[in-house]
Amino acid sequence: MSESASDVDVVVSAPRRHTARWAAITLGVVLLLFVAVLATRKSAADKQAESPLLGKPAPSLTGTGLDGSQVSLAAMHGKWVVVNFMASWCVPCRDEHPELVKFSQRHEAAGDAAVLGVIFDDTEPNVRRFFDQLGGSWPVVSDPGGRTALDFGVRGPPESFLVDPNGFVVWKGIGQVDANGLDKLVTQGKARGA
Amino acid sequence: MSAILGTAGVWLGLMGALIGAVTLGLGLRRRDDSLLLAGRKYTWVIVAGAVLGVVAMESALLRHDFSLKYVAENGSRQTPLLFTITGMWSALEGSILLWALVLSGYLAVMVRHFRKRATDPLVGWATLTVFVVAAFFFALMAGPANPFRVIHGAIPTNGPGPNPLLQNHPLVAFHPPMLYLGYVGFTIPFAFAVAALVTGRLGEGWLVETRRWTLFAWGFLTIGIILGAWWSYEVLGWGGYWAWDPVENASFIPWLTATAYLHSVMVQERRGMLRIWNLSLLLATFSLTILGTFLTRSGVLDSVHSFTESPIGPWILTFFGLVVFTAVGLIAWRGDRLRSPGSIDSPVSREGAFLANNLLFAAFCFVVLLGTVFPLLAEAVNGDRLSVGGPYFNRMTTPIVIALLFLMAIAPVLPWRKASEEVLRKRLFWPAATATLVVVLCVATGLRGLSPLVVFWLGTFAAGSAVRQLVLSARRQGWRGLMGRANGGMIVHIGVVLIAVAFAASHAYGHSREFRLSPGQSAHLSGHTVTYLGSDTVKASNKTSVQARVRVDGGKVYGPAIQQFPFATQAIGSPSVKSGLHDDVYITLAAAPDQTGGSAVIGVIVQPLIIWLWIGGAVIALGTVLAAWPGRRRRPTAPVSAPVEVETKPEPVGAPL
Amino acid sequence: MKGRLPWLVMGAVLVVALVIGAQGRSGPMTEAQRVKHIASEIRCPTCRNQSAAESDAAAAKAVRDEIDRRVRAGQSDGEIVAFMVSRYGSDILLKPPSSGVASLVWALPVVAVVVALAGLAVAFRRWRARPNVEVSAEDRALVERELERERA
Repeated sequence: MSESASDVDVVVSAPRRHTARWAAITLGVVLLLFVAVLATRKSAADKQAESPLLGKPAPSLTGTGLDGSQVSLAAMHGKWVVVNFMASWCVPCRDEHPELVKFSQRHEAAGDAAVLGVIFDDTEPNVRRFFDQLGGSWPVVSDPGGRTALDFGVRGPPESFLVDPNGFVVWKGIGQVDANGLDKLVTQGKARGA
Repeated sequence: MSAILGTAGVWLGLMGALIGAVTLGLGLRRRDDSLLLAGRKYTWVIVAGAVLGVVAMESALLRHDFSLKYVAENGSRQTPLLFTITGMWSALEGSILLWALVLSGYLAVMVRHFRKRATDPLVGWATLTVFVVAAFFFALMAGPANPFRVIHGAIPTNGPGPNPLLQNHPLVAFHPPMLYLGYVGFTIPFAFAVAALVTGRLGEGWLVETRRWTLFAWGFLTIGIILGAWWSYEVLGWGGYWAWDPVENASFIPWLTATAYLHSVMVQERRGMLRIWNLSLLLATFSLTILGTFLTRSGVLDSVHSFTESPIGPWILTFFGLVVFTAVGLIAWRGDRLRSPGSIDSPVSREGAFLANNLLFAAFCFVVLLGTVFPLLAEAVNGDRLSVGGPYFNRMTTPIVIALLFLMAIAPVLPWRKASEEVLRKRLFWPAATATLVVVLCVATGLRGLSPLVVFWLGTFAAGSAVRQLVLSARRQGWRGLMGRANGGMIVHIGVVLIAVAFAASHAYGHSREFRLSPGQSAHLSGHTVTYLGSDTVKASNKTSVQARVRVDGGKVYGPAIQQFPFATQAIGSPSVKSGLHDDVYITLAAAPDQTGGSAVIGVIVQPLIIWLWIGGAVIALGTVLAAWPGRRRRPTAPVSAPVEVETKPEPVGAPL
Repeated sequence: MKGRLPWLVMGAVLVVALVIGAQGRSGPMTEAQRVKHIASEIRCPTCRNQSAAESDAAAAKAVRDEIDRRVRAGQSDGEIVAFMVSRYGSDILLKPPSSGVASLVWALPVVAVVVALAGLAVAFRRWRARPNVEVSAEDRALVERELERERA
């Protein structure tokens, strides 16, 4: 902003400084950047798949299964485990369930991968009914008080974590999973490990 | 049938707006009055289109016409009549339709109001601007947010009804329309600001004409925001009413700039100064409503209200870009030529106080805007993911609110031009003394905590100043002394003080606890006794609820409930509130009994002075009406300002009506 | 009422009242208060913008319980917050940190206000140095007339 104009003292028309123009141009540039930032943002729903747990050992996960047996993630070492947080009231959980069934059946014979369900804010009878309806025979633990969900940093079902045979979290998925996608992750993981 | 009617309405509105805008544009370019007169008639086409669309939508909702995708997703045969009607604004597409209806209503009133000045280029440009805005919203409905999309394949026999939270309180019928009346109302002042810049006619005449429009829109927005707070208090079950949620912020940010404008416009009227600044505030207010719409409807931010999975984000962002770059471009082009001479003699004067007021409101606006969008900015800069929530906003805005309250106490007694210390000492003594007495009494009765006490002091001080002005004015003019802008404004100030005090008190002195109670058992919290009597299962057409019977203070029985709507995923709690002038007892059913006659978990929240938030809102509404009341007509004060050397016709003198 | 003395007395009374009023809240927080305080700055995982202290969602209760366990186990506030971040990521905190890029959200408003105040100060100095010569008298007359009309 030049001061040269202001020392010319004109009586009728005020000295013309370009304050408004420069302010407007500066603001325009800032707004341009701002709009550019807004235009390149992903939807909030797509952003959460990162997790501080990636590459770290999975939190301990033990509990009583729906059939009354003791279930623990540690006991499944040596396998790829999909830890799946679910609830019967959650519609995407219902939608993804057949995919989990497919995935667990594919790996049943080889025994190289398995699913471990964790109930998120739901009752055991509801979940039992859900499994009776939709199939699936993997262990499902209830999570009274939501401690396990908190340990995994779960924000809402469905969320799935892939835990490698050494017990490290290698992937987190928000929303529905599909069997082929999980297979691909397992294959990739095996290739990396080999 | 509805689909055809509604789609016809949308296209009618879109075509009307586009053809009208082109006609007006040509008329303005060729200075052809007959084109200007013809162009404004398209207003009625736009109104017809919007009304047709709304009628089609409402009739489809009422007739449960599930062949319409919107009705199939937001209506159901079990939903009570009221919530079927409000279903129109319980999802994205319908809310755009409401927006279009409100906008066309404002447009009609504006065109009618200025009918005798239809050939005035200022009015022509303003109408053209509103046409363009209307065209955008109709285009949204013709394109990505089409409310009249039909279902292909089998037509469902029933739908899920509106979101459960939008069908368990009658406030849903009032809060969104009020908010829209405010939000959309800022289009008119924006249009006049654009017109003033384009035509270069910045005399105060246009200001007098549009000031009242801004005041109306501001009043509706204020009521809308407060009703929203009330709704969230009565429905959401956490005992709060303001969470700095992006949607709340989106409605609050333009409110702040509009409030700044309503104050600084007085400096322009009296002193002919701050023209560009005032225009900028109007331009900013409208731009911020569009930005708010983008933030809340595009899904970039997490919010309680966010409309999910909507494809309209890029459209609104493009429109926002268009609006702000038009605004900034106009200011850059015209700004320096329209700057006013004139100066302010002393910071301790009415105009000095208005400058401080504007500085504070601008800072307030900046803090809220920055906090709302910061997660997006931070992520863009280095991929950091972070949240900006209540603790940030509370810490940053508290000093601003305190400074504003102080200004509210001082400013009304300040004379224009210059104030002497003696005048201030004299005029402020009783307000300050009363405030000090109140604080002494508060401390004597055991209230502790620095920030609430400071708010109480400043609040009483500000209210005292306002009351002093009103008393003086009423002594001079009788009941008429309560009307007019300055006096209505003082009543608004009192309402704002009530809200500030209630806010501070409920935040500082609230208590909450959960109790597991068997039938017949009582619990105590902050001097209130809550007795759990039992629970019943209540079936209504649209929901099943477990309702507890809870007796409060040995008196009336309240019924907090957990409601299950058939198509909803999770049960939602529904609080029950015993309101009093002194405090509210807010009761929720945190956990229903496992078996009949078992114990239930009852949540109890006791917060003082909550009801004064709503009373304060009513006082603001009253003050706004009084301020806008057409009193003795003052002539436009155009001559006060120095002549502006831009090629322009002389400002028409005398308000035509 | 016209002199300064009543104001001095009033100021003294106010300061004493506020000093008394500001006390009585000190002293170490109880465990329950600490839990509430920490939870109020943690975002409820399943809700959108409520803190874990306010929300009645199950996940918020889980967060409160976890904080409670850790407070009882003698962990510091910082340790508890760090644990939450290690599980959910930094956006579980409602209050942005005061370091790195996030510190801008704290600093920018302060900078903006300081710049605006400086601008106003410059404007006032300029106004004082070059009083508005051209319209002052006429302006004043008009203002007076307006005032008259308003009083009438």
